[in-house]
Amino acid sequence: MNEDIHRLNCFVENKPGVLARIVGLISGRGYNINTLSVGPTDDGTVSRMRIDVLGDDRVINQIVLQLRNQVNVIEVTARRTGKKARA
Amino acid sequence: MGKAKEVSGAQALVNSLAKAGTEVLFGYPGGAVLDIFNCLTDAPFQFVLGRHEQGSVHMADGYARASGKPGVCLVTSGPGATNTITGLATANMDGVPLICITGQVPLSQIGTDAFQEADMVGISRAVSKHNFLVHSADELPETVAEAFYIATHGKPGPVVIDIPKNVQKAMTAATYPERVSLRAYHPECSASQGEVQKLAKLINEAKRPLIYAGGGVIASGAAKDVAALARKAEIPVATTLMGLGSFDEHDPLALGLAGMHGSWAANLSFHEADFILALGVRFSDRVTGKLSEYARHAKIAHVDVDASSIGKNVPAFLGIQADVKDLLRVVDSRVHAAKHGEWLAKIAEWKRKRPVAYKPLHEKVIMPQSVIEAIDRATDGEALLVTDVGQHQMWAAQFFRHNQPRHFLSSGGMGTMGYGIPAAIGAALANTGDPVVAVCGDGGAQMTFEELVVAVEHKLPVTFVVVNNSCLGMVRQWQELFYGKNYSGSILSVKGRAANERLDQDLKYDYLPDFVKLAEAHGAVARRVIDPAKLDSVISEAIRSRKTNLVEVIVEPRANVYPMQPGGQPIGSMIFE
Repeated sequence: MNEDIHRLNCFVENKPGVLARIVGLISGRGYNINTLSVGPTDDGTVSRMRIDVLGDDRVINQIVLQLRNQVNVIEVTARRTGKKARA
Repeated sequence: MGKAKEVSGAQALVNSLAKAGTEVLFGYPGGAVLDIFNCLTDAPFQFVLGRHEQGSVHMADGYARASGKPGVCLVTSGPGATNTITGLATANMDGVPLICITGQVPLSQIGTDAFQEADMVGISRAVSKHNFLVHSADELPETVAEAFYIATHGKPGPVVIDIPKNVQKAMTAATYPERVSLRAYHPECSASQGEVQKLAKLINEAKRPLIYAGGGVIASGAAKDVAALARKAEIPVATTLMGLGSFDEHDPLALGLAGMHGSWAANLSFHEADFILALGVRFSDRVTGKLSEYARHAKIAHVDVDASSIGKNVPAFLGIQADVKDLLRVVDSRVHAAKHGEWLAKIAEWKRKRPVAYKPLHEKVIMPQSVIEAIDRATDGEALLVTDVGQHQMWAAQFFRHNQPRHFLSSGGMGTMGYGIPAAIGAALANTGDPVVAVCGDGGAQMTFEELVVAVEHKLPVTFVVVNNSCLGMVRQWQELFYGKNYSGSILSVKGRAANERLDQDLKYDYLPDFVKLAEAHGAVARRVIDPAKLDSVISEAIRSRKTNLVEVIVEPRANVYPMQPGGQPIGSMIFE
């Protein structure tokens, strides 16, 4: 398995419960979040989340597609940021 | 829009549900929804009182599957809300459009461990398509409109609206929006010209094509289009459990159910096909078995409205995010009429060699499979068949010749025991005109039996058939085949139980409850059949009576569901008896 750290860049509606929804979707499928940061954007109704997740391309692609299905998610992109040494 | 009169949040909710087209509301009252119930008596839609919130959600689910319209249910906060979780998960897995309204403690009390407080938005997140906590009465009409939109667009699913009691009491002049516009949710999708061309090319070039039809065909209303394509290009059709009824099984091109309990011919077709057109399916593990061996020789074109479903379990040669009906209508003109005589002859040979069949184990004992055949005969295949979960569910899938969409309602993904009785009631209230027959095992029937009262009260012409083998048949079957015949926890009669269950062998009854007495206590007409010679007449009399009926059929407990492809194993490992 080629598991790399991927960074998910999400733009989401700034509404209560959205963070829990996103985090729940990822953790509920058994994937561990390495780092997570949430911040405002110039548009006060939109928040930006940066989420680092470990997974192979197939897993990351699946997470991206499922995040896009979420009603409050405006945009998601993912890119590989670095390899993790296998334990 | 003009200036609207101020009404309470509760009244605004009821008005909005009416505007959204609600015809039947299922539910159960309680403290946190009293304001809403107070407005219901003047509502333009019917209210159906269940006897347990799980039952109410399954009723709404059965109503939705039978009618194609979203099911709506209303329950109170706390335990009322948590009791809906199994029903929501059931609808979520099978893509059933549902609106579940739950009461909540007043906003000021949320987080204080108030009486009957439960974090419903938190609890329901993983089992619903979306959920809302409504913060003000002004948001209510728009929230209801959005909930109906989300439930019915893209892959359908359940949406929860959690409404605090103070929001129900607050006054609002907000009106139901003309149009719904969601900033981030745009499930509309269609195939590109290039995708349509590629798909047509794959269909036209295939020598051994196969259509694999799932619940998405039924949700999209594409059954006629699938049949047209299958006949034009001579392509055999296998279905998932959720796809049963999407293709008429009387047609020689029909392969019936695929997967763990699918026919040999269907499963072998996947193995030998060179092209599979997968329509509205998700390649569940119950269908694919061992993934590395699955459909090895085939190019797979996977069509689904849900992009995340495409390639999730099985890689797709061509993935198209589109509505099945829309796509088939566009691709039709590019598909050439074709003959695949050699391929069809091969499949016909497989069907002939190993049909889905059973042998009686004892001449005086009813085989459970024959119960399903009796229902098929009694209704001439027109029954709206609702099942519970377990062996009888698989036999209902195998031995009824499914021929119309929305006539086989079953908890596929979640496998929820207790689904059958309430879902049949919901289906009967959708009033499609065809006789509703619910098939349940003795285990599942006991999980939601209390709902039978609802069928009796509303004089619903539903026949509930309890296939009683005095055990939890599917569990027993797995224990027989894979756990060394160690029947732990799966025997419902007193005799034959494991020693550690410590039952007094001198009990007056060997089996409880008496389903006939139980049904009569609920006000239904009930009969028991033991003699195979009387099965047909009792079943057909019950269905023809147009009364709420229960027929308990005592069946052979040793019967197993075959063929069986054990989980995670390749096709060659099918067990036949």
